[in-house]
Amino acid sequence: METSGAAAAVPVEALRAAAGADAVLTEPAQLRAYECDGLTGTRVVPAAVVLPRTTAQVAATVRACCAAGVPFVARGSGTGLSGGALPVAQGVVIGLARMNAVLSVDIANERVVVQPGVTNLAVTQAVASAGYFYAPDPSSQSVCSIGGNVAENSGGAHCLKYGFTVHHVCAATLVTADGRIARLGSATVDGPGYDLLAAVVGGEGTLGIVTEVTLRIVPRPPCVLTVLAAFDSMEAAGSAVSSIVAAGVLPAAVEMMDRLALQAVEAAVQAGYPDCAAVLLVEVDGSEIEARTVAADIDRICRACGATELRRAAGESERALMWKGRRAAFAAMGRISPSYYVQDGVIPRTALSEVLGGIRELESEYGCQVANVFHAGDGNLHPLVLFDPAVPGEAERGRELAERILDLCIAAGGSITGEHGVGTDKACSMPKLFDEGSLRIMGRLRDAFDPAGLCNPGKLLPTPRLCGEVPGVYRPHALEIAGVAERL
Amino acid sequence: MTSVVTSLDRLASIVGERWLREAEPADAVAGVVPRLVVTPGDEAEVAALLRVASDAALAVTVRGGGTKLDWGAPPRRCDVVLSTRRLVRLVEHAAGDMVCVVQAGMPLETLQAQLAAAPGNRQRLMLDPPQGVAATIGGIVSCNAAGSRRVRYGTPRDLLIGARFVLGDGTVGHSGGKVVKNVAGYDVGRVLCGALGTLAVLTEAAFRLHPVPPGWRIVVLEDAPPARLAEAVEKLRRLGSAAAGIDVTWPQGLLVVRLEGSEAAVGAQAGEVAARSGGRVLDRIEAEMLGEQLRHRPWESAGAVAGIGVPRARLGALLEVCSDFAVDTVVRAGVGAAEARLPLTVDGPTVAAFRTAIAGIGGHLVLRRGGGALPAQVWPDGDPVAAWLAASLKRSLDPTGTLSPGREQAAPAASSA
Repeated sequence: METSGAAAAVPVEALRAAAGADAVLTEPAQLRAYECDGLTGTRVVPAAVVLPRTTAQVAATVRACCAAGVPFVARGSGTGLSGGALPVAQGVVIGLARMNAVLSVDIANERVVVQPGVTNLAVTQAVASAGYFYAPDPSSQSVCSIGGNVAENSGGAHCLKYGFTVHHVCAATLVTADGRIARLGSATVDGPGYDLLAAVVGGEGTLGIVTEVTLRIVPRPPCVLTVLAAFDSMEAAGSAVSSIVAAGVLPAAVEMMDRLALQAVEAAVQAGYPDCAAVLLVEVDGSEIEARTVAADIDRICRACGATELRRAAGESERALMWKGRRAAFAAMGRISPSYYVQDGVIPRTALSEVLGGIRELESEYGCQVANVFHAGDGNLHPLVLFDPAVPGEAERGRELAERILDLCIAAGGSITGEHGVGTDKACSMPKLFDEGSLRIMGRLRDAFDPAGLCNPGKLLPTPRLCGEVPGVYRPHALEIAGVAERL
Repeated sequence: MTSVVTSLDRLASIVGERWLREAEPADAVAGVVPRLVVTPGDEAEVAALLRVASDAALAVTVRGGGTKLDWGAPPRRCDVVLSTRRLVRLVEHAAGDMVCVVQAGMPLETLQAQLAAAPGNRQRLMLDPPQGVAATIGGIVSCNAAGSRRVRYGTPRDLLIGARFVLGDGTVGHSGGKVVKNVAGYDVGRVLCGALGTLAVLTEAAFRLHPVPPGWRIVVLEDAPPARLAEAVEKLRRLGSAAAGIDVTWPQGLLVVRLEGSEAAVGAQAGEVAARSGGRVLDRIEAEMLGEQLRHRPWESAGAVAGIGVPRARLGALLEVCSDFAVDTVVRAGVGAAEARLPLTVDGPTVAAFRTAIAGIGGHLVLRRGGGALPAQVWPDGDPVAAWLAASLKRSLDPTGTLSPGREQAAPAASSA
């Protein structure tokens, strides 16, 4: 799958024929707008950008790339945090922003059909008046696109109860890596055949380009209660989360912010958070009785774990303010640090206190501050490593610290990414989580969809070019083939 | 046949004589009788067996409890049945994190008992597929089989968080992990859900667990016509109810609503659901008896069974179609899924007409289990490019066609049905 030798020339005329002359950008100034996604530290200027309007144009664009042997990368809103939409040098970016129509809304059957450029929030807006919502809610929901959500299997605060993107995509139109058009899944449940969507959702745009998506929507619960609990240590807040999970209580969301994150948020949006070491934001929903019962459980557990203050949002505007602070947290870091690196790791919910303690130790070891703001209920950490690029060596130190946090997550039995994806950023970390056999199997899955290796190459799986020498491909020894010896 | 004989010693040297035997007629897979049955004791043995089998061009079908061997088209070849019945360990139950890791051969019922016996809050894997108490985790995942509670908790693919597996050539791998949120790497385990063991042999599965709800109630509406049932289900949707299951059985005209949650909440909701639907709340003994009666429907008797998906609002129309074709049906009404057992006398053209009628109300039909002279059809009239991708996936993961070749496809003889 490695492209080697001289790069093939981008077929500009063929791209214009595929998607229309006005859909092809080649001016350097225009191309620079596409040189990175939300992972801004890594930049590659593509050779061309194509902005198709239809599935047929996407397919024709892909075919033009294939005919010329040129790699291509799909891009939604460019908010991804793992470099999944990083262009390939000499390659083509296929931007889906112009495909932004909500195609149909079927409330009775709880389905919405959208184009990939539609924003996550626009799906909820399209069904809100009927009492429905689209459950996955990444913090960037007002700008991130459904196509990007599908590629990354995006999560969000309320996924704790409602599930991730993969649980809400029923069907999709996929332009294959060789430019054909496939219908995957089914608007109704239990569609026939292999569950190819299970690979495509979360496939980080390496298995084809999704151009139409059928989503499941969910009735808005009649009662929603939001509880804010303050703690005087991160460890105490962490143990409250572990206790909530272990008690079998299932809130809709459990979010945590530490002191540094709270200070940044207060400076940015004045959400009225208390001045304390850690805050838990817990949301429960359901019927009124159900929600009140669960909220009472949450209060009790938080108190038992040492909560110093408990607040209930009184009404929708207070609730919105509590969430505004949480959603603004990443952006608010600019208030307290010139730059930061967002880490994304997952740990078992029983290990929260221990791993948060480990992060504190790393802070002093590296002399960098780490702000924590994350989805505590499903163990999805987002440590924000703060650094000043103007101070020599600090960016590198911060980067290394972030890497060490991932090691903590792996050691605790967790994962290197919960929702931001592997992309370019973590492809070389994949061998820490997956052995050689697993990576080869994933490579075979990818080859089944993209034998030519032109669809978003260099993402998700490690390659020698990206990561230096990786262990050679295992080949069975002659004695094993003969059945005389076994590899243990 | 020669290759089976020459491979015997190699297979026996992996598992020991005790765990390799000649197959009997009862070992048939959808009518295809294998030569050998081999029962490995661990994943390394599974891998070694598959290396030998793929090397010798033997076809292998994996078997758990054997309750769904008639799901899927008959394999084109079946030389060896690989039984998972020694892979029965609960590898890990992280009760505090509400996840478990379990070997593929463990029966679901055994897993539930072990989870329930653990100290702390009572937990379950929230799957209740019909068809046999012997059903194993591996078989349930491979068939993506689910029951009443799928309305709230989904199917195996929704609860699986990690998997270990062996490809037909013996390559061992894993995907996912044992945390509830994880997007590292392709989700191979989820792709294995419903693949009928044709892409890889699942050896271990990790699941998200849920608490056993402290309170539950059953509300029923009896002897109701399609329009009334559809209306009742629609009212439940608007109620935003905490229903864990909404089943309709036909031709009985029975609506069964299962409410689960805190005792206070289900107590209040049961009354409301009964009032709105015109039904009644069952007492505990009645409810338990009804649960037992319905547990394995419509799989409990012989006959082909169709898996149906329809837009959820077309419940009334679905029941009318089911009447026309005299099928015995359970509808998971909250999600628009149904399983319908066809009469024993049914023929290919009738199935084709049934499928057309279902398509007419915006749905699709898969003949999940064969019966009589009818083979199952897992893949009728799929999108051609999607079918190409599927075939490409099978070729890439199982290039030697070792794992139940043909089982995922409609048999050629039946494809015209």
